[in-house]
Amino acid sequence: MSNVIEQIEQQIAKLSTKAIRKNTGVIRTIADGVAKIEGLSDVMYNEMVQFPGGVIGIALNLEEDEVGCVILGDVSGLKQGDEVATTGKLLSIPVGKALLGRVVDALGRPVDGKGPIDSKETYPVEKIAPGIIVRKSVSQPLFTGIMAIDSMIPIGRGQRELIIGDRGTGKTTICVDTIINQARINKVGLASGDKNFRPVYSIYVAVGQKQSNVVRTIAALEAADALQYTIIVAAPAADNPANQYLAPFSGAALGEWFMENGMDALIVYDDLSKHAVAYRQISLILKRPSGREAYPGDVFYLHSRLLERAARLDGKGSLTALPVIETQAGDVSAYIPTNVISITDGQIFLETDLFNQGIRPAVSVGLSVSRVGSSAQIKVTKQVGGKLKGELAQFRELAAFAQFGSDLDAKTKATLDRGSRIVELFKQPQLNPIAIEVQAAVLYILQKNYFDAIEVKHIVSAANSFKDFLTSRKTDLLTKIRNEAKLTDEIEAGLKAAADEWKSTFVAK
Amino acid sequence: MAADKQTKLLAKQLFKLSVVDGVVSPEQVAGVLGWVEQRSPRRPVALLKAYHHRIAIELAKSRAEVEHAGPVTDAALKLIEGAMSQRYKRVVTASAKPNPSLLAGLRVRVGSDVYETSVAGQLAKLSV
Repeated sequence: MSNVIEQIEQQIAKLSTKAIRKNTGVIRTIADGVAKIEGLSDVMYNEMVQFPGGVIGIALNLEEDEVGCVILGDVSGLKQGDEVATTGKLLSIPVGKALLGRVVDALGRPVDGKGPIDSKETYPVEKIAPGIIVRKSVSQPLFTGIMAIDSMIPIGRGQRELIIGDRGTGKTTICVDTIINQARINKVGLASGDKNFRPVYSIYVAVGQKQSNVVRTIAALEAADALQYTIIVAAPAADNPANQYLAPFSGAALGEWFMENGMDALIVYDDLSKHAVAYRQISLILKRPSGREAYPGDVFYLHSRLLERAARLDGKGSLTALPVIETQAGDVSAYIPTNVISITDGQIFLETDLFNQGIRPAVSVGLSVSRVGSSAQIKVTKQVGGKLKGELAQFRELAAFAQFGSDLDAKTKATLDRGSRIVELFKQPQLNPIAIEVQAAVLYILQKNYFDAIEVKHIVSAANSFKDFLTSRKTDLLTKIRNEAKLTDEIEAGLKAAADEWKSTFVAK
Repeated sequence: MAADKQTKLLAKQLFKLSVVDGVVSPEQVAGVLGWVEQRSPRRPVALLKAYHHRIAIELAKSRAEVEHAGPVTDAALKLIEGAMSQRYKRVVTASAKPNPSLLAGLRVRVGSDVYETSVAGQLAKLSV
């Protein structure tokens, strides 16, 4: 027996004295968060490299006689001549449900002061997107809680829907509302005990934003009790460009964990314009050739490989992506906007003019489209809101035309009246997503002309009054709409009765 | 003065001429130096520095620098030479260099590869 123990001990001794091979290099130059390293002959593309003081970098440029590394930490302690070693590992971050309710940086390290994250698994930050065979077409809805979107530009689980608009048009608000709506649906669904219910977990990636904005978003999610279903990846403007470049990929890795493990996730990239700027900065410092608007040639690939990771997998879960792009003076034909428009499955365009007119969310119906979402839309929404987009388009066209004259025929006047009512109805305060069954009920009474007798300026209050009436007195009917997801005779009769009852009590103020 | 693109390219060409069968040839190096002296190309100092850099990197690949905290015998150096020559499939010569900061053990450097058996290296690994 003692012989066996000796054998094991000898083996341990042999192992503990075994030479460790490291491939090393020396910092030649270091500037702007990028180090040029001599040596590192065995380094792989995108491999993590170890700098002195526990600082990590990523090898992004493998040149003939030097390696360009972006540094993901404090560069102030590094100097020329410092030794750098390869790690043999690709950059990975912790993943899993333990991260829900937490705020992490681009490397998955907590930054919210709530202590360490107990995560057992890690996922690589860069991963090849799922192929054709494993994918499934988008057919399940993802409700944003925003009536204008859910009824006219529906989003499905696994879709990539771009949110695009100028600064201050409510892009982030739409994303935050959607996250809050997922949390509300999750709570209702999980409380119902339905085994087929699939909660949606959210990941919000803040790239290049002001710290105060990130704090505001966190506070909004916390106030709505949505943070428990959300992970926030923060790479604010004060963070180095390398972290800003990596944050969306880290977020995608977090989302992929949910997708690979049979769950559904939603990821918001807020925003990819700043992400492209961070990547341009890194590329210019790495002396990569620049192209249009000084962006490197692979900026399209940067976003396509990121957004292709959003998918619905056969037999597994899904990852829905809501990338955000900020335009300058409404120019959607700029380089990065056109790139991302062509990659995504549709876009929600927010207009400054509409926003300033008080039409919020300022969704431009004409320029917004969802290419795959309609197949994911539930039947009841199709039944009550199928014609809305056409009616609104007609209204916009006639509204412009009607400005030139006052003599209008009855049909034109009716179209204008209806359009202005739809516009009013779609006005929605921020952080207040509406459940899909309530949306369907409101659109039903619009379709049945219950709002026609109400003055346009009172439409918002009428709609709110009807919503309150439904949620306080007709919860059974709402549950039925939610469960059936289609307009049956019974539901229609119930809605008609509810609308008549509400109409008799409603007084416009 | 830093070497420009053309100078770097010339240094690379001169370096290629200096390597025969994967080994830096002293005769070829002498020839290159003679050529530089004779022809005096543009930016000779930058050119020679770039050339020197490339030759130094190449020579480092055939040299095992053995840092040691305690005594190291000639037999141990021979063993290291043999092992490294076998591993890199080229003649590697070992040279000893005392380094008390290693505390105990050896650190062998061949080109950009480092083989660490020192106590200081193991302690550093534990601290990460």
